[in-house]
Amino acid sequence: MADSAQKAAPAAARPPKRREPKTLPDGTRKPNPYKVEKKRRLPAVPEVVLNRRRERRAHKKKSLALKLKAKADKRKLRQKYFTRAEAYIKKYRTMEKEQLRLKREAKAQGTVLVPAEARLAFVIRVRGVNQIHPKVRKVLKLLRLLQINNGVFVQLNKATLSMLRIAEPFITWGYPNLKTIKQMIYKRGHAKIDGRRVPLYSNTLIEKYLGKYGIICVEDMVHEIFTQGKNFQKVNNFMWNFKLNNPKGGWRMKTKHYVEGGDFGNREGKINALLAKMI
Amino acid sequence: MATTCCRPLVGVYEAGAPSKTRVSLPAVFRAPIRPDVVNFVHDQMAKNTRQPYAVNKDAGHQTSAESWGTGRAVARIPRVRGGGTHRSGQGAFGNMCRGGRMFAPTKIWRRWHRRVGVNQKRYAMCSAIAASSIPALVMSKGHMIQEVPEVPLVVSNKAQELTKTKEAVALLRQHHAWTDVLKVYKSQRFRAGRGKMRNRRRIQRKGPLVIYNNDQGLTRAFRNVPGVETICVDKLNLLKLAPGGHVGRFCIWTEDAFRKLDALYGTWRKEAKHKKGYNLPVSKMTNTDLSRLLKSDEIKSVIRKPNKTIVRSKVKPNPLTNYQAMLELNPFHRVEKKLAQAVEAKHIEAKKAGKPKVEKPVKKEKPRKKKAKKGVKRLRKQHPRSKSGKKDKTKAKAK
Repeated sequence: MADSAQKAAPAAARPPKRREPKTLPDGTRKPNPYKVEKKRRLPAVPEVVLNRRRERRAHKKKSLALKLKAKADKRKLRQKYFTRAEAYIKKYRTMEKEQLRLKREAKAQGTVLVPAEARLAFVIRVRGVNQIHPKVRKVLKLLRLLQINNGVFVQLNKATLSMLRIAEPFITWGYPNLKTIKQMIYKRGHAKIDGRRVPLYSNTLIEKYLGKYGIICVEDMVHEIFTQGKNFQKVNNFMWNFKLNNPKGGWRMKTKHYVEGGDFGNREGKINALLAKMI
Repeated sequence: MATTCCRPLVGVYEAGAPSKTRVSLPAVFRAPIRPDVVNFVHDQMAKNTRQPYAVNKDAGHQTSAESWGTGRAVARIPRVRGGGTHRSGQGAFGNMCRGGRMFAPTKIWRRWHRRVGVNQKRYAMCSAIAASSIPALVMSKGHMIQEVPEVPLVVSNKAQELTKTKEAVALLRQHHAWTDVLKVYKSQRFRAGRGKMRNRRRIQRKGPLVIYNNDQGLTRAFRNVPGVETICVDKLNLLKLAPGGHVGRFCIWTEDAFRKLDALYGTWRKEAKHKKGYNLPVSKMTNTDLSRLLKSDEIKSVIRKPNKTIVRSKVKPNPLTNYQAMLELNPFHRVEKKLAQAVEAKHIEAKKAGKPKVEKPVKKEKPRKKKAKKGVKRLRKQHPRSKSGKKDKTKAKAK
């Protein structure tokens, strides 16, 4: 009735349309049916950053595994060095004892033991670079004795003995003993790596380049040189020529042969005393 | 400026307010900006308005001077003949002489003008136009565009119909370009140097460049406004768009001129209509953000890991004296050393305990009798001692 009355009345008289109130009778806010509910999102982190985090985690895991493996490998390797060094000492001792035994046996029989001719020599260049005969120059170059007080190990055979004879006035040489060899390599040992002279500060260097010959540490190198194994040439060439000091206490006379009271030439076992002053 | 990026809409301004019309940015504004090309082309083009200069070809040679030769205690420079005037006997001809000809007299057939390849000129043009749309570059050129509503500033075609300077100024004011003109006013000064007396007395900086399509009075309206230059879009001039060889001039385009640019220079998809067979230059790199590139997965997945290990030369410690260095090379040394130390300790203890050393058996020394040997006795009989007392050497030896 009221509605019809309202409709009957003229348009101007009609009460103005009122908007529906936003609050419900109980006081709560009326939900807007057209409003899209925003889902709660995680804080926005760029994909690049997330990728990098993932990569870093994976890398860390990998590197940790590698580190542990490296540690274990190193441990095994050091055990190897240990056992080898031990074995060599035993071997050297038996070699010495063998020599003694043969000597005593010979004495007991009333004969004389003729010791084997030396097969290993250590050669040192005694004179400088000026006014050298071309032949001698060539020999010294072949022996890698390019500088005064340079030393190299040399296997003795007919060929090398002839070479040493040619270069005799410019070199002094002799038969090194085990102690000399050890001291030489430990103190003055440098490796030839990629054409560079690198000090032997770690066995890893040796393993990298001589590992394929079964030589992995300095003791192996010493053994190879002392006993002149199959790979003597490889080991000797791997090492740079030894650069020695002038002997403490001086030379006797470089211009004369050792037997004349000078220094050059073959001084057999006396080389060790000289090298003790030069290393 | 990437070729692949979308081209925004530029609003056309009328009476300072943006009108309803919007024009999509012509592709020229996305051309690669090559300041080196612009500089080179500008240098070359600027030479083309030069007027030749040279000295008179006879200058310094209008004498019959001849050297006096040696023996007259004077320098051997050619000297002016005759007498009766100061000039006689003076040096002539040489560049070092007063009144002589200069070294290498300048000639009019010097190569004054330079040719530039058409494509290179167009490249420079595209670069200059592109640079004028970058507010940073325009500001760095020195234009006061802080208040300008949009860069590039496109003005309605009504500007082309302006006839009064008042209206032109009003236009500039409405679009906040007047500060640039004020800057021109402030920069008006006398030239430093000799140019002052060579009809180049006053100088001022460059203001905005108004580019139109159809001149219906615009040039004359803007003519008297200092710093403002007008140019038709068909005849764009690099010397105006990149004055001094530097890109980034403040340009005010009329709508028609702005719309014509696509037809003039082309878009990469379409060739230019008004230039035969011409299309916009292509940049060497589409994405020049180097840091972004290097961090991208496409590149990272292919390049190797960075080698950040610094290999420094190691000072080798002497293993014979340095225990740790020795252990590094020979772990068994630990055992050797311990054994050696044990042996040494034993010796020291033994010494301390005072154990007598194992003495070697001493040979009993018999008192030596001066007993001559048998052979000596016989010899003595044979050779008795002389009275002089000299000892017989043989006897002494036999003893």
